This record gives sequence, structure tokens and C-alpha cells, in this order.
Amino acid sequence: MSFRVIDAGMVDWLDSQVIYHAVASAMREASEDTLTLVHPDIPYACIGYHQELEKEVDLEYCAAHGLPITRRQVGGGAVYLDKNQLFWHIIVHRSRAPYRIEDIYSRFLAGPVNALRAMGIPAEHRPVNDIQVAGRKIGGTGAATIGEAIVVVGSLIFDFDYELMAHVLKVPSEKFRDKVYQSLREYLTTIRRELGADAPTWEEGKRILIDQIGESLGQPMHFGELSARERREMAEWRKTLMSKEWLYQTGGLHHHGVKIAESVHVREAAYKARGGLLRATIRVREHTLDDVTLSGDFFIYPQESIGPLEQALIGAPLHEKEVRERITAFWQEQQIQSPGMTPDDVASVVMLAAHE
Amino acid sequence: MTSLIYRGCEFPAEYFYDVDRDVWVRRDDDGCVTMGMTDPAQAQCGKFVHVRFKAVGRSLQRGQSAATIESAKWVGPFPTPLSGEIIATNEAQYKLDILSANKDPYGAGWLIRLKPNRLAEEWPLLLAHDPAFERYREKITERNLQCYRCAD
Repeated sequence: MSFRVIDAGMVDWLDSQVIYHAVASAMREASEDTLTLVHPDIPYACIGYHQELEKEVDLEYCAAHGLPITRRQVGGGAVYLDKNQLFWHIIVHRSRAPYRIEDIYSRFLAGPVNALRAMGIPAEHRPVNDIQVAGRKIGGTGAATIGEAIVVVGSLIFDFDYELMAHVLKVPSEKFRDKVYQSLREYLTTIRRELGADAPTWEEGKRILIDQIGESLGQPMHFGELSARERREMAEWRKTLMSKEWLYQTGGLHHHGVKIAESVHVREAAYKARGGLLRATIRVREHTLDDVTLSGDFFIYPQESIGPLEQALIGAPLHEKEVRERITAFWQEQQIQSPGMTPDDVASVVMLAAHE
Repeated sequence: MTSLIYRGCEFPAEYFYDVDRDVWVRRDDDGCVTMGMTDPAQAQCGKFVHVRFKAVGRSLQRGQSAATIESAKWVGPFPTPLSGEIIATNEAQYKLDILSANKDPYGAGWLIRLKPNRLAEEWPLLLAHDPAFERYREKITERNLQCYRCAD
């Protein structure tokens, strides 16, 4: 059986989600497996299936900047999408997909990973579902069962608006937002960042992706159109994805902190010490403190010692004992005075953030 | 509870199974049924992170989704193999421990109770333990599956 490619090009922002839900819903065992390719005409935000809208997205910011929002029937966190990302959706009947989730990702991410390699980017599949290059994420992916179909979705990120992404997310503080922004810049890369002037054009990149997906699956690819049944499903999904009931589903899952890439998270916690409120905004990478910002309404002398204290914590494994020892050593070496705040308080807030 | 186990996947003897949908069904004394995910199904989807149940009182047709499950890397439906009305969900247990199905898929990890309304017609479509176990042996071998349970 050959594989159908529906290259829908630039579409209405909502249709960039609707299309794969519809093709999946319409799929039966006799249907052709399908690759859909789209990019949205305007930027928008999209939350994961079990997320609560108001907890994840800065609704005021989105309204003020004309960014629409929808929910997808795929898991994961809130994301920002725009026309500089080529979204691919691989939709196969469940009878032709591997059974285990890990195997589904291994089979269907091979094509997108090989496409990046063919462009000259040494990308690799970092299980379960990240695509990374030298420790940086270059594409997020997700999977779902919709009707009889298994759907694997992802994107080729040509360019990325880091600032807008950091603004779309609902975060506990501006410091946290800065940290998310810096972390995105540090741990999320793009095709143009990696290749500069050697980056393929949009159309070249798309052709490489189609070729590599076909090759990795060992199936001939051919261009096709949506069937009448799929178009009817699209009309239904447009209504669903725009309904208030769908968008504002509550009682859902709240992701604490923001996941930047596999094993890279930004988290924050506050702690009331005797001398005042202490807040830690941290980035954790591979169970190690990768970045730390301490703030609050406490007093510390010498005043300029907060920066070096934050530095002293970077690289610490996330074990309370290790964190506490580093802070205590710093306190002694620098002869810190901080009325109402002890090294234990600082260790507590850092560990609280780590466990958020 | 007596069970047969193949490659770590357990199949209790007194249950009935929809092998294609990976659902087990138990007939209760009150004429209702309790159902949940089989061991291979929980192993396949991995650790649950969230379950959203359809409301109690909702009528479902065979094959419709009674709950949506999100694991770390996948979202999918829990399809009912029998038509009927949802009379209870196990939401309270999953609020206590979201890994209930990953730890005990046939006990604490049940998902819904249903009052069937087409039982005579649909019950014969389920497989009793022995034929279900044979089908699962084939499926597990073919897909090279191994079941794991989450420890406490």
C-alpha cells in the first residue's frame, strides 16, 4: 500500500489542527495511511488535550495580540505555532502501527530525523519523543489514538519566535518568564540557526521531509487530496475545536513548571522565611541545577552576594544535602549576614522549586 | 484470583476480554459490568498522567470512548466493548493515585461501571479467558511485548 501525502500549504490557523483530527477520524482499515503538511496563516497558541486553558496560557496577552487559542487531542504542553514551522502529521491505521508507544515514535520519527540530517543537521531521536541536535531540541512531537488511527505529529522549525512563545505561557512571575525565554533560546534550536545561509528553502525542506519519511517507511509516496468524507469530518472538527466546551474543559492536568526539552525544565517556588519572602526560579537539566535566580524581600549583606550565591549553586546535583552544603559553605566563605534568612531557608526554597 | 501470565502480562481467569480494544470486562451480581484496561494495554501506553472520564449517566454505544487517557507520551480513548449507561467511574481512585491502572489494572485500576442495554447481542462478541489468552499470546509474541507494572 502506498502512502498519501496531502500538502495543504498555508492554511487557516484552525485548519492546521483540524486537518489531522479529521483525516484520523475518517480513517478505516482500508484507507490509505497519510502524511499531512501544513503551516498556519497566523500565529496561535495550542494547549495539550488534558490541560486547563486558564492555567497554561496568558489569555490577556493572547487577546491583546490577536493570538487565537485552541486545544488539540494530543497530549503535552502549551505551544506557540506560526508560519515558520512546517507541521507534519503522520496518520496510520492502528492495525499498521507498532503496538508500543516507544516503537511508534521510533518508526515514525526516523523520517523527520533523517530529513534534518539530509539538510546537514546532525539530529537524533532522543527517546521517548524529542528530536535533538547537540543537546538542543529542534522539534517537539506527540502521539495520540484518534478513532481507528494512530497519529504522530511534529514540526520542522525553520525559525522560531522565542519571545512570543515565552509571552504566550502563563507563568508565575516575570523572572520566571525571563528564565523560560533564556532557556528556550539555549535549548531550542531551529533549522536556520543551525545552518544559516545554507538552510534549505521552505519548498526544499518540505521535499526532503517527504522523501525521507517515504524512505524510512519503505513506502512509495504520492500526492493526493482530501476525500469527501474527510472534508465532512473537517467541518465537524472545526466546530469542536472552536467550541467553548472543548476549549474550557476543566479538572484537567496542570503541568508544574515549563518543559523546554527532554530533561530540561524551568520551575519556581516561594518560601516564607522569618526575614521575608524568598523566591527561587531554577532551571533543571538532567537532575542538576542548570541555572538559579533568587529573589524576594529579604536582606542580605554584602548586597552583591546574591549573584555569586546563584553561581555557586549551578552544577549542583538536585539532592538536598548537596544543595545545603554548597549554600552553607558559601555563607561561611563570604561571611554572609542575612537577618531572618538562613542557608537552610535558601536550600528549602531551591528544593521546593525542584519538586514543583 | 487465578490468572495465566505470558511475558509478564497477566490475564485473570474470571474476566472476559475484548482483545482488539484491549479491555477486560467483569459481570457483577447486580447485572452491571465493570471494565478496565488489560495488562498489555497499560504496559503499552506507559505511566498515566491524567484520565478524563465521561459523565455518569452518559449513554454510550459499543466502541465509543468512556474515558480519555493521557500517558507521558500519548493520548487515547478507553473504548467500551458494550453499549450502555455509565453508572460509576473510578475517578476518585485515580485522584488518589493516577498510576492505579499501571499498578493494578484488574483491581484498583478499573475504569468504569456500565449498565449494559444490548447485552444479549454484544456479550457473545467478548472472549472468555481461555480463547482470549490464546489470542493475546499471539498478539504479544507478534508485537514482541513485555508487560511491566509500576511498583509502589
